[in-house]
Amino acid sequence: MTRKDDDGFFVGYINAAPGSLSWFLPVIAIGLVALFAAVGFFTATGQKSAGSGAFLWGAGQQNLIGILEAEPYPILHASPNERFPNGRTLMLNGQGKRGVANEAAKLDGQLVEVSGILLKRGELDALQVGKMEAVTAPKEGAQNAPAVKDLGRWRIAGEICDGKCVAGAMRPGTGLAHKACANFCLLGGVPPVFVATDTVAGQDFMLLGNEEGGPLADDQYFDFVAQPVEVEGQLEQRGDLLIFKIDPTTTKPL
Amino acid sequence: MSVLYEPVQWNRSKIFYDIVVLAMVAAYVLLFLKVAPNWSAGAQGTDYPIQRMRAFGTCAFLLLTVVLCIGPLARFDRRFLPLLYNRRHLGVITAAVAFTHAAFVIDWYFNFSPTDPYVGLLVSNTSYGQVIGFPFEAFGIFALFVLIILAATSHDFWLKFLSPPTWKALHMSIYVAYAAVVAHIALGYLQSGDNGPFVVVTVLSVAIVTLLHVAAASRDAREEAQQTGALQGIDAADWLEIGDPATIADGRAKIVMLDNGEKVAIFRHGSKLSALTNACAHQNGPLGEGRIVDGCVTCPWHGFQYRPEDGCAPAPFTEKVATYRLKLDGDRLYLNPAANPPGTHVEPVMSPLEGQGEAA
Repeated sequence: MTRKDDDGFFVGYINAAPGSLSWFLPVIAIGLVALFAAVGFFTATGQKSAGSGAFLWGAGQQNLIGILEAEPYPILHASPNERFPNGRTLMLNGQGKRGVANEAAKLDGQLVEVSGILLKRGELDALQVGKMEAVTAPKEGAQNAPAVKDLGRWRIAGEICDGKCVAGAMRPGTGLAHKACANFCLLGGVPPVFVATDTVAGQDFMLLGNEEGGPLADDQYFDFVAQPVEVEGQLEQRGDLLIFKIDPTTTKPL
Repeated sequence: MSVLYEPVQWNRSKIFYDIVVLAMVAAYVLLFLKVAPNWSAGAQGTDYPIQRMRAFGTCAFLLLTVVLCIGPLARFDRRFLPLLYNRRHLGVITAAVAFTHAAFVIDWYFNFSPTDPYVGLLVSNTSYGQVIGFPFEAFGIFALFVLIILAATSHDFWLKFLSPPTWKALHMSIYVAYAAVVAHIALGYLQSGDNGPFVVVTVLSVAIVTLLHVAAASRDAREEAQQTGALQGIDAADWLEIGDPATIADGRAKIVMLDNGEKVAIFRHGSKLSALTNACAHQNGPLGEGRIVDGCVTCPWHGFQYRPEDGCAPAPFTEKVATYRLKLDGDRLYLNPAANPPGTHVEPVMSPLEGQGEAA
C-alpha cells in the first residue's frame, strides 16, 4: 500500500509508505539481507584450517599401561599394545581445563594403568585421563622408561600453547584469539607446549619445563602465551616426546 | 508519539522493519554455520562452538556498522529516513546478537574449569602492557555493557525520565562502543591472522562509517554557513531579515541559524507562516526537514507533531517546543531571534504563496 499524495515524506505510524518509496524500501531490504548473507558466507569460508588435531572418540576408551613421569608435567611411556605396537609417549591431561599433576606426583616413576580418551595432532599424542592407578602386579610386556637423550641447547621460534587445546580439544587451539582460553587451561594445570615454527628433531611440538626439569612458574611465561616468540633452552628426548627445558628470561616476542 | 509508555507501539512499519532485521541476522548466521562449511575446509575443520561464537560476533559488528551508517545516509538522501524511524529496534537486536556471541564464548573458552567462568574471563589474560596478546576481551566486555545499557534505555520512558539532552548524550556512547568493538576485533581475531576476508570486511566497515560521518559533518557545516550567511542586516528592533517568504514551499520550512547556534524552522502552511525551534522535543530531530501533515509540523525522524502556531503537540500528547515571532515588511520576512517559552501561541504571519501574490 502506498500513499500518492505526498513527496516521499515518511511517517512511520501511518500504515502506508509514500508512493516514491514503494520500490526503494523493498530494494534496500532485499539488498541488506543479501549483503548479510554474502558477508556471512565469505567470512565463514575465510576461516583458516585448524589443523588435524582432534579427540579420537571413535577409538573408544584406551587402557594403557606404562611408566609415569610426573615432571615437568605428567607423561606416560605406554608399553606396546594393539594401538601402539612400538609403545608410545603421551602427555596426560585431566577432564576439562584440568591437569593431573597432583595425582601423577604420587605415582612418579611407577608402573601405572591409565584409562582415557586419546587426542592426536600429527606426532603429538595425548590422553584425557579418566582413571589412573598404580599397577601392583607385574604386567606382561611392560617396559622401563626410555633413556633421556640430550639434544643440546636450542633457540627456537614458535608459540607457547596449552597442550590439550593444541592436541585437538579445541580447533583452532592456537593463536591470539585463543590466548585467554590457553591461559585458563594452563592455570588449571594443563601442560604447556611449544609449537615450533619449523620442525626440530623431526617434531613440531615439545613439552615445556624449566631449566631444572620442573614445571614453569605461571608468571614466567603467561604473558607470552599464544603469540610468536623465540626462546632458548635445553632440548631432550624422552621416548617419542621432546622436552624443551627453557630459560624463561630468554623469551623474546617476535 | 505516546502518552502511555507501551513497551512497543507496533505498526506496519515497525513489523516490516523488524522482520527485515531478523532476516538479515538469520541469513548471516545460516550462511555462516550451515552453508559455508560445505564449501570450505577451514570452516569444516573449526569446532562448531567456535564457529557459532564467530558467526554471532561478526554479525553483531556488521549490524553495528549498519546502525551507524543510517544517520549520515539519511542526511544525504531522505529516502533513508525510514531506516532511522525504528533504529532503536535495530540497536536492541544488535545488543542481543552481541550478547549471544559473549554467551557462546563464555560457554566454550571459559567453561570446563574448576574456576568460575566469569572469574576466568577477567583473570586468565592480564597482559595489559603489550599490544600483541593484549586482553582484547576487555574491549568486548565494555562494548557489550554499553550496547546493553543503550538497548535498555532505548524506550521513550527513559528519554523523558533522563531528559532528551542527557538521553542523547548517553546514546552518543554508541561511537565509543563501536571503537571498542573495532579494538576488540583488531587485537583479537584479526591479530590471530585467521581470516583474510574478515580483515577486508572490518577495514571497509570502519572506512565507510568514518567517511559517511566526515562527509555528513562537512555537509552540515556548509549548510550552516549558508544559513548564517543568509541572515543579513539586523534592524533597530533586532529583527533578522529572512528574505522573500515566497521562497518557502507550502508545507515545508526554511531553516535559519541564529548567532547563538540555535536553529529555527520557518514553516509555510498555505498562506500562514510560523516559526518553531528546529529541534524536536523527542530526540532533537530536525523539524525543519519535516513537513506539515494534517495541519501539524511533523518531525522526519519519528513523526512527532506540533501545531505551527503554538508549538504544542495535539492532544492527548503533551510535548511542546519553543516558538518565534515573525513579521512581514513588504515582501521581506523578519524573525525575532528571542525564543518564546515552549508552547507560546504566536499568531501566524499571512503571506501569499509564490505566484499568487501578483494575482491577489
